[in-house]
Amino acid sequence: MTSFLQATSYGLLQGGLLAMIAIGFSLVWGVMNVINLSHGAYVLLGAYIAWELHAAWGLDPLLGAVAAGLVMFGAGYAVQRSLINQVVNAPIFLTLLLTFGLQLVLVQGMAVVFSADYRSIATWYASESLPIGDVRVPSGRLLAFGVAILATVVLVTFMRRTRTGLAILATGMDRNAARLMGINARHAYALTAGIAAALAGAAGALVGLVGTFSPPDAARFTLLSFVISVLGGLGNMYGALLGGLVLGVVQAWAGQYLPGTWVNAVAFAVLVAVLIVRPSGLAGRAFYEARVEAT
Amino acid sequence: MSRSAVAWALGAAVVVAGMVLLPSQLYTGQVRVVTAVLMFVALAQAWNIIGGFTGYACFGQVAFFGIGGYATAVLMEHANWSFWAALPVSALGCAAFATLIGLPLLRLRGHYFAIATLGVAEGMREVVTNLGWLTGGGAGITVPTVGGRGTAWLGNDGFYLLFLTLAGLAVGVATLIARSRFGYGLRAINQDEDAAAAAGVNTTRAKVLALTISAAITALVGSAYAFQQVTIYPQRLFDVDITVIMIVMVVIGGAGTVLGPIVGAVGLQFVSEYLRQHYPQEHILVLGAVIILVVLLFPSGLTGVAGRTGLLDAIWAYRL
Amino acid sequence: MTAPSKTPRALETPFLETRDLTRRFGALRALSGVSLTVAPGTILGVIGPNGAGKSTLINVITGHLRPTAGTVCVDGVDVTGAPPWRIARAQVARTFQIVKPFRGMTVRENVAISAMYGPARGMSKRMAFELADGMLDRLDLTGLAARSPAELPVGDARRLELARALAARPRLLLLDEVMAGLRDAEIHSMVQLIRSLRDSEGVTVLAVEHVIKAIVAISDEICVLHHGEVLTCGAPQAVLSDPRVVQAYLGTRYAQRDGSS
Repeated sequence: MTSFLQATSYGLLQGGLLAMIAIGFSLVWGVMNVINLSHGAYVLLGAYIAWELHAAWGLDPLLGAVAAGLVMFGAGYAVQRSLINQVVNAPIFLTLLLTFGLQLVLVQGMAVVFSADYRSIATWYASESLPIGDVRVPSGRLLAFGVAILATVVLVTFMRRTRTGLAILATGMDRNAARLMGINARHAYALTAGIAAALAGAAGALVGLVGTFSPPDAARFTLLSFVISVLGGLGNMYGALLGGLVLGVVQAWAGQYLPGTWVNAVAFAVLVAVLIVRPSGLAGRAFYEARVEAT
Repeated sequence: MSRSAVAWALGAAVVVAGMVLLPSQLYTGQVRVVTAVLMFVALAQAWNIIGGFTGYACFGQVAFFGIGGYATAVLMEHANWSFWAALPVSALGCAAFATLIGLPLLRLRGHYFAIATLGVAEGMREVVTNLGWLTGGGAGITVPTVGGRGTAWLGNDGFYLLFLTLAGLAVGVATLIARSRFGYGLRAINQDEDAAAAAGVNTTRAKVLALTISAAITALVGSAYAFQQVTIYPQRLFDVDITVIMIVMVVIGGAGTVLGPIVGAVGLQFVSEYLRQHYPQEHILVLGAVIILVVLLFPSGLTGVAGRTGLLDAIWAYRL
Repeated sequence: MTAPSKTPRALETPFLETRDLTRRFGALRALSGVSLTVAPGTILGVIGPNGAGKSTLINVITGHLRPTAGTVCVDGVDVTGAPPWRIARAQVARTFQIVKPFRGMTVRENVAISAMYGPARGMSKRMAFELADGMLDRLDLTGLAARSPAELPVGDARRLELARALAARPRLLLLDEVMAGLRDAEIHSMVQLIRSLRDSEGVTVLAVEHVIKAIVAISDEICVLHHGEVLTCGAPQAVLSDPRVVQAYLGTRYAQRDGSS
């Protein structure tokens, strides 16, 4: 029983972090119908920014997350404005190819600059653990979880309560109508991409806080973002949070009770099963189900 | 036989003869490079059938490559089959697999289909990695090629001919499809699936059949690749990069044409071979940059660019 | 329900019959309990304001949407819930309100595909193209045969849509606003064509239309849909002079013009 609770709590904490990574991916997918295959590379860029700041000035990774988020916001905005906006209405394999090419450049670039060695950001508190009943919870993971949930709630509030957020959501619903209302779609898209990159980058710093990372991990973060977005329903932000928690727990249980590396297969089994049985996601309706496609 | 058909047959015969005689004019290293080009011609053409003609962006194509390779290795290692028996059986088994997954997955459209197939490919890699007693797991499996077991390794020239045959087969199948009623049905599905169904195209059957044919060809190539490599690993045989390279080749050349994937495969494979030799450290980085440039500069493929110069009319007229 | 004095036509088995056809989108009832019959070789016009469920009706009949409840019978065969291609092969052809040409093919190939995959399957490619050429000629599209459908003006695009439907040699033709956006001369020739399909080839037609003048000219019977329900059915002039229909759905302007026309 203890091991079950231990695995479940670990899964929830990990799931919160995964949700923070995936929510931007889901937002981009929902608003501009683009699958950003370089999303996982953004996570690692954030991790390396936090790592460098920690190594150079001893900056705590929780502050490093803020710095990484700011830098990645600019990077995400620029990449969208200069590259992805060019193909946003093209057939899907073109956007997939473009972002895959970007992923290759970023991951290989990081491997050249930082080497492929595994790194982590060591802090005095990360490996301390709080006993809750019989379960021991690492404080670093708990902190990361808290930050991830907070970031998600702030994002949802921003999207639903501010003019800018609503303009972005409206652009995703119907680009032509949004344009008629004076919304600059290119700017709205770039803002969306910037927000997604910022969350991914900040989450990357937290990844460095709770564990190790290396450039080839990028593809795994992208794939998990897929799975979570699909679980949560396309563009549904609270759905992505729920999807992240569900996936984290399912993976933790699989790691606990399945032999070998079957745990890696579980995410894909969940993905394919959900796509076939309930393509609109676990959390009910996808936000953009009734989207008007731009012509 | 009409005069133009005779001209086409003669032209094809000259190309085939030239290709068969080519290795005698090349160094061993060059033969290997051309062999790899032929392999990618076959793979790109196979992806073209589902992705180019039908318009279903299959991002899990490497699953069929890996299944073909592993089926062959397992049959040769554990059942002592010869390669020549394992090759067609692997392809048939993979075709059956593609039919089974195609029925539910081809109901999905757009990104959902792309991601679901990607999930299948990644999942298959994990399955193969975890069935160590059968597949050797992450440590790989070795195809028997010596000591009277299995089939003797074919040698560089032998594999050249094998991959030449597979490339010819893939191009031949794609040509037949492009000129057939079935090909019109696939293009109709690609361009407007609702209208295709309203015109009487059995869309489910056509899509599943396209995926099955595409998977069978891909599995043949995977099977031959496994035999050529002798020892295979799940990481390599199910590498998502192989899928992406197929797609890049088709996109560069022009999706939905027969000529496009050939042009794309030859062009990209020579470029990446050049990069590998001259920039061993950074060649993947440069490849990424090439992909980005191609998408931005030639979104409709090189055959699309050729179209602006009038060549496209000829290509379409002959359904190349 | 039905008047006691039935015309001989109503005694025949209907070629198309929908019974209690209902389709919901979430909470919205796009169709509710629609029962219609179309006798063989006749033309039924369906009119109604925007959002009345006219296009939904066609989409449910052709299998592009599944009905929530109710049945569709074509020539006495229950085809409810069958996939669109199977219904197409029962010699049911349709046009789309928003035209859906195959944009990567020529006009001629667009028409030939219907001939290849329509009910007369097994037709060789060469025969399909010959049939397509005949259809292009009949619809005055021969000059555009090699063009891309993406370049066509509205009138030609609607004729291409119809040519595609006709190349499948339909016994039942479902027209979704084929007159929309056409000029008067084009409407006139479209009316002539649809009449000739009924009179010389015995095709049964269900036409959804906004252009009242045209629908009156072709229909043997007219049904009015409103909020997904059948408001009334009957002879064109009787339906149009029904005060509820005139005031609620056609507006007072048509009522005034009606006297002068």
